[in-house]
Amino acid sequence: MERSLIRKEVLPFLGMFGALILMTIITDALLHQFELIWIGRWLGIPGVILILLSFFYSMRKRKLISFGKPRNLLILHETLTWMGALMILVHAGIHIYTILPWLALVAMLINVISGMTGQYLLARSRRFLAQKKEVYSQQGLSEDTIEKKLFWDATTFDLMKKWRAVHLPITLAFAVLGITHILSILLFWQWR
Amino acid sequence: MKNKTIILIVTVILTALVLLTIFSPQLMISPGKPIDAHAELATDCFACHTPFIGSRPKKCIACHKVEEIGKITTKGLPIDKEKKNVAFHQQLIEDDCIACHSDHKGVKAFRPISQFSHNLLELSLQKQCDSCHRNPVDDLHRKIKGNCGQCHTQDAWKPATFEHEKYFRFDRDHDTECITCHINNDYANYTCYGCHEHSRSKIREEHVEEGIRDYENCTECHRSSDEDEAKRIWRSKDLIRKR
Repeated sequence: MERSLIRKEVLPFLGMFGALILMTIITDALLHQFELIWIGRWLGIPGVILILLSFFYSMRKRKLISFGKPRNLLILHETLTWMGALMILVHAGIHIYTILPWLALVAMLINVISGMTGQYLLARSRRFLAQKKEVYSQQGLSEDTIEKKLFWDATTFDLMKKWRAVHLPITLAFAVLGITHILSILLFWQWR
Repeated sequence: MKNKTIILIVTVILTALVLLTIFSPQLMISPGKPIDAHAELATDCFACHTPFIGSRPKKCIACHKVEEIGKITTKGLPIDKEKKNVAFHQQLIEDDCIACHSDHKGVKAFRPISQFSHNLLELSLQKQCDSCHRNPVDDLHRKIKGNCGQCHTQDAWKPATFEHEKYFRFDRDHDTECITCHINNDYANYTCYGCHEHSRSKIREEHVEEGIRDYENCTECHRSSDEDEAKRIWRSKDLIRKR
C-alpha cells in the first residue's frame, strides 16, 4: 500500500472513528468522575434529535426540500451525525442488560462507519473527475464534449451509487431498531 | 445482489427483530433481570408496569400491603428473622415505592436504595435514627444516645459538623462519659460542674482570685486540663478586650 494512500485515505478515516470512540471514553469517564452519570442516561434524546436534524441533507438530496446548499447540508450531516453518535454512545455506556438497544447501537456504529466510507469515496470521486477533466482539456476537447464524457465517466466510476445501495439499508436498520428502542422506553419508562 | 434484494433481506430481518421484541420483551428490552423474589414476574412486564405511565405504587401494594411489610410475607407467612429493620415502611408519609426500590439490575445504578430520602418518613420518626440505624461502636458514639442530628445530616453520615477537639480535648484527666458534661444528651450545651473537681464554690474562688469574673463559659479558655494554655488564652482575650 502506498504511503500517500495511508496518509490520505486510511488515517483520516481511522482518525474520525477513533476520535469518536476516544471522546466517548473521555466523556463517560468524566461523567463517572463527577458523579453525573444521570446526564448520560438523558443524552440519548439530544443524540437522536441531532441525527434527525442531519436528515435535512438526505431530504435535500431526494428533493423533498429545496432550501440549503447541498454542500453545506452535507457538512452539517457529517457533523451532526458524529455528535449525535457520540451522545448515543455515551448514553449506551458499556452496560449490557438487554439486546435491542445494543442491536440499535451496533446498527448506528455500522451506519457511522458506512457514512465515513461514503465521505472518503466522495472525496475520491471528486479527485478522479478533476483529473479526468484535466486530461480531456489537454487533449483539446471542447467544453461540451468534456461535460458529456465526464458525465459517462461519473456514472461508470460511480462508486457513490454502489455505496448508497449499502448505506440506505444500514440506515433503515438503524432507524427501525432505534425507533423500536424508543417506543419500548416510552411504553415502560418510569415517568417520575 | 440487487438493491431491492438487499432491502428485502434487511426488512425481513428487522421485522423478525420487531416481532421478537413484541413477543419476548424480557429478552429484548428488559433492563436486566428483576430481583430474585420477583423472578416469576420476569416474563410479565405488565404485572408491575402500566403502559406509558410506569410502575405505580398501587401495583406494588396489591401484593406488598404496607401494614404487613416486615411482619408477614406476600404469601402470608410470618417473618420472624427479618435482618433489616423495615418497620419504618408503616410510617412513610406517602406510598412511593419506586423512590427507593428498583427491580431491574440496569436501573439500580440510577435508583440506588441508598438514595432513600428521610423526608419520606413521618417527622416524629425522622428524629429516631437508632430505630433503623445501628449506633457506631467507636469510643465517642458508644457513649451517645440519640440527638444525632446535632452533628449529622440525613443525607449522609459524613461530613459531620462536629469536631470536639476544636472545643475541648479529652486528655487523661477528662476520660469520661459524655453525660458527665452533656446532661440529658444535650450536645449543644455542657457543664463543668458535674465533676467533684469542679464545684461551683471552688471555681468561683479560683477565678475571682485572678480577677476573672466572667468564667461561666469554661471552654472559652480551658481546652483541656492544661492550666498554662488556659492562662495564655485568657491573657490574649484580655488584651483584645482592653484595646
